[in-house]
Amino acid sequence: MTARLPALGRAHLALPVALLVGLGCLAPLAVLVIFSVFEVEDFELVPAFSGRAWAELFTTPSYWVLIGRALFYGAMTALLTGLAGYPVALALARLPAAWKGVAVVVLLTPLYTGEIVRIYAWRIVLGAEGLVNAVLEAVGLIDDPLKVLLFSPLTIGLVLLYNNLPFMVLAIWVSAEMVDRRLIEAARDLGARPISAFARVTFPLTLPGLAAGVFAVFALAAGEMLTPSLLGGTYGATAMAIIDNLFGTAFDWPLASALALALLVALFVAAVGLASLLLQTRGARAVLQRGRT
Amino acid sequence: MSTLIADTAPPLLLSARGLVKTYGRGAAPAVAGVDLDIGERMFTTLLGPSGCGKTTILRMIAGFETADAGTISLDGVPLKGVPPERRPVNTVFQSYALFPHLTVFENVAFSLRLLSAVTNLEGRVKRALDAVHMADFGERYPHQLSGGQQQRVAVARAIVAEPRLLLLDEPLSALDRRMRAHLQVELKDLQRRLGIAFVYVTHDQEEAFALSDVVVVMNKGRIAQTADPRTIYSRPADSFVADFIGGATLVDGTVSAAGNGRASIATAIGPVDAPAVEGLAAGERAVLVIRPEALSLVPTGTGLPASVVHAVYQGERTMVEAVAQGVALRFADHAPPEVGETIGLSLDRERCFVTRIAA
Ligand SMILES: Nc1ncnc2c1ncn2[C@@H]1O[C@H](COP(=O)(O)OP(=O)(O)OP(=O)(O)O)[C@@H](O)[C@H]1O
Ligand SMILES: [Mg+2]
Repeated sequence: MTARLPALGRAHLALPVALLVGLGCLAPLAVLVIFSVFEVEDFELVPAFSGRAWAELFTTPSYWVLIGRALFYGAMTALLTGLAGYPVALALARLPAAWKGVAVVVLLTPLYTGEIVRIYAWRIVLGAEGLVNAVLEAVGLIDDPLKVLLFSPLTIGLVLLYNNLPFMVLAIWVSAEMVDRRLIEAARDLGARPISAFARVTFPLTLPGLAAGVFAVFALAAGEMLTPSLLGGTYGATAMAIIDNLFGTAFDWPLASALALALLVALFVAAVGLASLLLQTRGARAVLQRGRT
Repeated sequence: MSTLIADTAPPLLLSARGLVKTYGRGAAPAVAGVDLDIGERMFTTLLGPSGCGKTTILRMIAGFETADAGTISLDGVPLKGVPPERRPVNTVFQSYALFPHLTVFENVAFSLRLLSAVTNLEGRVKRALDAVHMADFGERYPHQLSGGQQQRVAVARAIVAEPRLLLLDEPLSALDRRMRAHLQVELKDLQRRLGIAFVYVTHDQEEAFALSDVVVVMNKGRIAQTADPRTIYSRPADSFVADFIGGATLVDGTVSAAGNGRASIATAIGPVDAPAVEGLAAGERAVLVIRPEALSLVPTGTGLPASVVHAVYQGERTMVEAVAQGVALRFADHAPPEVGETIGLSLDRERCFVTRIAA
């Protein structure tokens, strides 16, 4: 009596990991859902049903601002890294093989340094007595230090771009490597100048990579807590930081759970929407179907 | 024999002189001094073993590689510095290189959409698809087609903008025997109807003979012989050509007398007087090319005594290999002798050929 598994072929090798990921994903979610409808009495979570947390969440506009800000950071970072990363990824794909390894290591170096170290490095570079201001003053371009460099939306944008660029570049690079050079030659042969060969062949076929990059960077940037709060000044209050605060000092676990869930749903819907828009294109569909002939 | 081509030669379309191409420092040249003339409406085939430089020549004509030395001109105008998109030359790639994100229709329309003013785009695409019998497949994507169908689309895509010259790099090599034979006929037919000059690359001599007006046999980056198929077969310019065309036995020997298109050559199976390449001199080493059809069975005890070592049944006939004086001779027969049997062979020397030993 052998078990009759659906005909998954080798795909069933992925089952254990899928199970683990599924459980690891669903269990905390379930916990959040349950906590969000509990009550808190004398700094203790009481298992009695209450809609108080959700009511507070829906009636307090500042929470919606926080969620909106997270979505905005995510979208902005996805856009900026997409624009900045696309040419980098293409250049990477065209490097001689011997240089590719070096280039990838250089690209990933910022990630090895750890977030806190990086943030303090940015403070040193961008601060009132920082490197950038010192250079600008020495050259005589400015008389007083530029304040806008640190603790401003500009700072947040810059650092989010910097932190997330490697992920975007990696994602696009992989799909740029998969574009058959012979297709570009075919386009040229048929009369396309280099720029239109790019627009008509290379770009559509790298859209899956761009979609993967957008998906990853959007989620990473929207969920970022340290960078905005340590570098963004008054603009740096994030939903993540508030959730952290609610769970910790304020001990309002139901409200923290409700906010976390609302944020998660908003991010998920937005990320899936964005990525599937890109994946709907003909180029992306062609690449994704390639293995199915 | 070159006058034979010159008499009927059509106006010249493409002309290459002294082409040289070396990839990377220290490597042997992939193309080492090639002259090539392609006539209008001619079907020219580059034939040669793997790595002899066929693809490199096509890529230089298409504009994907620049020659280290030499010139290519089209209608007498040098193509140096002209990018691929501005050459009136299209390519059918060995891998087809169809755009996976475009339908068959859009693949074929690709070159037309790049032109500023195209009238009747749809009609022209349809006509190109019709020419390769793929009119019903316009809405499909390349991954939904068989290999043979993809090959046809690649041809339609390359002819739709009516290039002056079509380059085809082993377009049939990925297909099975039957499909290949079928598409050979269609390609030849298409070429006649369109009147476009084709430069076709293959390493299959049967294919080359079946399709071509002119065959260019290549060896290690050089041209060994340029001629019509019959001449290549019956009068190979050197031992490489004779050997590559296949089937023949090559017997070494020394020329004892030569002149008037004939030579006498002393070989292990005795002296033979036969048609020969020009320019042989007495005392020179040369080879005697013996085609299967030059040999026939005669009653044992007469002719050249030989013992049968192989008999390979090929349906209609049997290929027999027999050894005479240490030389393995191949011929075909309907009623083959047994392996081990001693037979008599007669040699029709008019069907033999004396040629140079290849460098
Ligand atoms: N891009 C390249 N870099 C280095 N060497 C190359 C390159 N392309 C071709 N070669 C070399 O040049 C020589 C000729 O190659 P080419 O592709 O022209 O041969 P071919 O006659 O088309 O062979 P095949 O029948 O196998 O396709 C070969 O020795 C090959 O290894
Ligand atoms: Mg080749």
